[in-house]
Amino acid sequence: MAYGAPGTTVVGKEHVTMIPAPKGQAWTARVNGTPVEVLAPSNAVLLDVLRDKVGTLGVKRGCDLGTCGCCTVMIDGVPKLSCLTLAGQVEGSEIITVEGLSNGAHLAPIQTCFATHGGSQCGFCTPGFLVTSQALLNENDAPTRDEIATAIEGNLCRCTGYQQIIDSIEAAAAIHRGDAEAAQPASSPHADPHPSGPEEPTMPPGHAK
Amino acid sequence: MTMGAYKQQPGTSSSEIRKDGKRVAGKQSFPPPGSGGSKPSMRPRDLDFIPETVGGREPKPAGDHIHDRARTGTSVGKAMPLVDSNAKVTGQAWYGDDVRLPGELIGKILRSPHHYARIKSIDTSKVEALPGVVAVATGQDAPNRFGVLPVTKDEHAMAVEKVRHVGDLVACVAAVDEATAIEALSLFDIEWEILEPVFDPKEGLEDQDEPIHWRGKYHLARTNVQKRVFQEFGDRSLVNNPRAASHGSWTMSGVHHGFTEPHAVVAHWDPNGRLQLYTPQQVPHYTHRALSTVLDVPMHQINVIRTFVGGGFGGKSDPFPHEMCAAILARSSGKPVRITFDREEVYWINRGRHPSHIDVKMTADDDGRISSFDIDALIDGGGFASFGHVTSYYNGVLATAPYELGSFHYTGARVWTNKPASGAMRGHGAVNTRCAVEVGLDEMAESMQVDPIDLRLANLLPPHSRTISGFRITSNGMREALERVREGSNWDEKFRQLPLGKGIGIGCGFFISGSGLPIHWDPKNFPHATVHIQVDMDGGVTVHTGAADIGQGSTTAVAQVVSEVLALPIEMIHVRSHESDTSPVDLGSYSSRVTFMNANAAIRAAIDIRDQLLNAAWQMLGYHPNVLVLNDRRIYYKHDPSIGVSYLQALHKAQEDKGALIARGAYRSPPMGGVHKGAAAGLAPAYSFSAYVAEVDVDVETGLISCTNVWAAHDCGKALNPLAVKGQIIGSCHMGLGQVLSEKMVYGRTGHLQNANLLEYKIPSVHEMPHVEAIIVESSDPEGPFGAKEAGEGPLLPILPAVVNAVYDAIGIRLRDLPLTPDVVFRGIEKHLKKEGLEDPLELRSPRLEHGPLQATLKARGEAHRERDRLRQRSEDTSAYVNGVLFGFDPDRPLADQVEGWREADEPLPEQLAELGFAGRAWLKKEQRHMGGDA
Repeated sequence: MAYGAPGTTVVGKEHVTMIPAPKGQAWTARVNGTPVEVLAPSNAVLLDVLRDKVGTLGVKRGCDLGTCGCCTVMIDGVPKLSCLTLAGQVEGSEIITVEGLSNGAHLAPIQTCFATHGGSQCGFCTPGFLVTSQALLNENDAPTRDEIATAIEGNLCRCTGYQQIIDSIEAAAAIHRGDAEAAQPASSPHADPHPSGPEEPTMPPGHAK
Repeated sequence: MTMGAYKQQPGTSSSEIRKDGKRVAGKQSFPPPGSGGSKPSMRPRDLDFIPETVGGREPKPAGDHIHDRARTGTSVGKAMPLVDSNAKVTGQAWYGDDVRLPGELIGKILRSPHHYARIKSIDTSKVEALPGVVAVATGQDAPNRFGVLPVTKDEHAMAVEKVRHVGDLVACVAAVDEATAIEALSLFDIEWEILEPVFDPKEGLEDQDEPIHWRGKYHLARTNVQKRVFQEFGDRSLVNNPRAASHGSWTMSGVHHGFTEPHAVVAHWDPNGRLQLYTPQQVPHYTHRALSTVLDVPMHQINVIRTFVGGGFGGKSDPFPHEMCAAILARSSGKPVRITFDREEVYWINRGRHPSHIDVKMTADDDGRISSFDIDALIDGGGFASFGHVTSYYNGVLATAPYELGSFHYTGARVWTNKPASGAMRGHGAVNTRCAVEVGLDEMAESMQVDPIDLRLANLLPPHSRTISGFRITSNGMREALERVREGSNWDEKFRQLPLGKGIGIGCGFFISGSGLPIHWDPKNFPHATVHIQVDMDGGVTVHTGAADIGQGSTTAVAQVVSEVLALPIEMIHVRSHESDTSPVDLGSYSSRVTFMNANAAIRAAIDIRDQLLNAAWQMLGYHPNVLVLNDRRIYYKHDPSIGVSYLQALHKAQEDKGALIARGAYRSPPMGGVHKGAAAGLAPAYSFSAYVAEVDVDVETGLISCTNVWAAHDCGKALNPLAVKGQIIGSCHMGLGQVLSEKMVYGRTGHLQNANLLEYKIPSVHEMPHVEAIIVESSDPEGPFGAKEAGEGPLLPILPAVVNAVYDAIGIRLRDLPLTPDVVFRGIEKHLKKEGLEDPLELRSPRLEHGPLQATLKARGEAHRERDRLRQRSEDTSAYVNGVLFGFDPDRPLADQVEGWREADEPLPEQLAELGFAGRAWLKKEQRHMGGDA
């Protein structure tokens, strides 16, 4: 398209038709332990398939260029950028997203540690960091701070300055090794020391009842 | 503390039991007072988190605080995970693009390929004919103007007459899928008339044939100046015959917030014709207002739902045109429409920090007092006004503290150019000038042969004082911050003593904690923040607030303060802040106001609820609330903890006649400030202070700088959540380091943005981050919630000058062209070598310091002022103090009466016009109304 010089008039532009979308075909994989089968065109990007078809919206789209790491998922145990992966390439593989890190309602140590050590602020990059660091911990449960930094170098975080993320991963590694216990919530609202039951109030002495 | 039983009266071996089975007060075994009496399952009161002023063990060096009596030792001051962190770590937090409504259409925006052009016609017939396209809209569909500030509404949903930068919105479509929508964008037939663009803000000061915007009779001649500011205070005669002076001309590049979540919006008109708009907004209320204006729909027919926000930093605080587009498309198609930006579009909407030319001159007198700051800031606003009106002031006025100044002179101009609009970004308006000022102080210290920290310590404004422009300083932890980074970094052993290539530098910061002026209304009529609390029979506490949590943890802060006042576990506090339908109006997350103001409002509401509970307990127990204690879901008699009622019993009693307990609390800032034009800009109920020391390594042969260590002390008043405060400090360091070392929006010779992606826009990765030692200084602000002030933006300011000063310490070269990328540093080194006649960069000499006679004077003054500050901080000295006392003025008399030539001006004198700085040249022009035209 022509850019005009000042004072000129430019009319219209070329009509660019999109490459006709290929027909959807069956795509199968195990996502977070569950077999899935969805219709996806042969040129579909894994990130789109996961977000739009499989429904794992925890996989985040940050840049589409492999620069931010928000879309990282584990493919057969290896953290990969789903925005740079064609769905067809990983057909039939075992994919773990952030949703697959916890054991049912029980959070994985890496998840609790990100919460308790300030590893997550706005939380948008968190899924990518969690998947990357879980993959690291699966390989190495006693990483040094440098090793952790090397593992997460492909993930951008704009909130935390990384320091508390590294703290979180170190703490999770200690739990993995068995050197530490997962942090318990500071308080438990479930164990109410003063249930609302039929119990009567404790009255002052001499209270006429 | 042990939980074992102890005897209130020694010698009594067991409890005395009355006939009715109750125990006798004072004659029984029970755990220590405050532990919940006979309820052993109750946690003891956490005396470490109850201020010593009300009987606990938390030290209060800054004296007592009005909220001390509401402390229960439950949550405040404890490191707590964010209350929404579990949603974030499980992938369940729903950001803009995660809102998927059934039957949604995908919206796409047609953007201008031209920098500046008039739209002569748009033909959409081919677009509409494309199968799969459901709705099309152009600027003609939404002619009403909007803007974040009511004084500068210069935006349209889509270009109505002209496009003003590459990427400006022209039209939008909604289609059944993304591919169809993208194809549709190529089918618009548009006739453009190309206009002469302006990229350089210096050119923008000159008259144009076709100014980018036209403000009618208020337009400044035919220039592109959006706002000009002049401010002058103090005794200008002090400028003459200085002992030391510094003059620096700076070029600062534009930087972008770089949040990880691209903008996204989902709009849906429900069956009743109400708009439901989902958007990751820092300031949903302004979006709410702007939508109402643009769509011609009353505000009550719009529900703005703030999704989780994947990073804001000021970049999601304007009402955005794409939000209007989604609403327009959804209205005409009758279906939900989702628009998600790609990363390039994020840069086109921009609102990042202004590219600036800043000129700072300063002088010091024979006593080492700062006799003047002269600042000139020309800032490049891009295509729209955004927050620019405010930015133009902030570039000057936020430099008037923390130092006591003899005089202050500021000229600023914000200019429209044909680039994506600049706006508010973390440290709004204050960052660039602060960097220039702090580096200037370093230079002056060097020429006076004094330590730059001692120079600062001897010139600080004390707590409870007034700046030269009339800002009310309350608490002030600047001195402690400086002293702690000096000690932590081992400054005295390192400064000017490190080998070539290694350097250490200091920088300070000063920032507002909440803008004192609610932009859209008179603060006399309406509060800044309102919080509603509702407690129903289940005992759970629902807090409704408009506080927009953008990751900084404002929701957590609000939950914490409510939990603190009511002595309930934080898990029992449920904050609802997403929907404008249910949350009271809040101005949003900007100007570091949200925790300060919302927590204040929440404390008031929570105290109301607490009082209702205590009154119920009074009825049940017969003891006055003054002698009742709240602790962990139980209310008991202070002197005999075995007498009490559970929280639920008191709650049910309180609900007896009226159902759920409801309370509201509001906060508005006190009346403050001067009367001059612009006096409200920079006015805040409290100010934060910070001091950083940075250590850098500079490779003199390649020009590569790496920052290795940072000691970062920030006075946040009171750390409600130390974990979050540290996260803010370290995160601010990260963002500031990006600006000073690597981040830059690159506009090429043709004015095109060349690095609109995260690969070439260099955000520091984990490897570029130094170790940051976050030091929290607590000065306990009398106005803040439990003493707290902001911690989100202020900590960014000092890192820039600290690094620049450290680079000077390492190689002896002052660089004033940010960011200090290797090429900039390398060119600086080459130039310096040539000047010095050196061949090899390894022959460079790093600067050394031999203390001059002034050092002892400053040291002594700093020491004397420490005691002055301590007494004022604790309100043991309540005498008046205004900027100028250091120069011998009497604070109780108007300064203008005491010195001839005292200036307090918002317009230049005619004789000054010739000597104003670059931005000051805007004052050579007249507004149209004074030119006889009103066009």
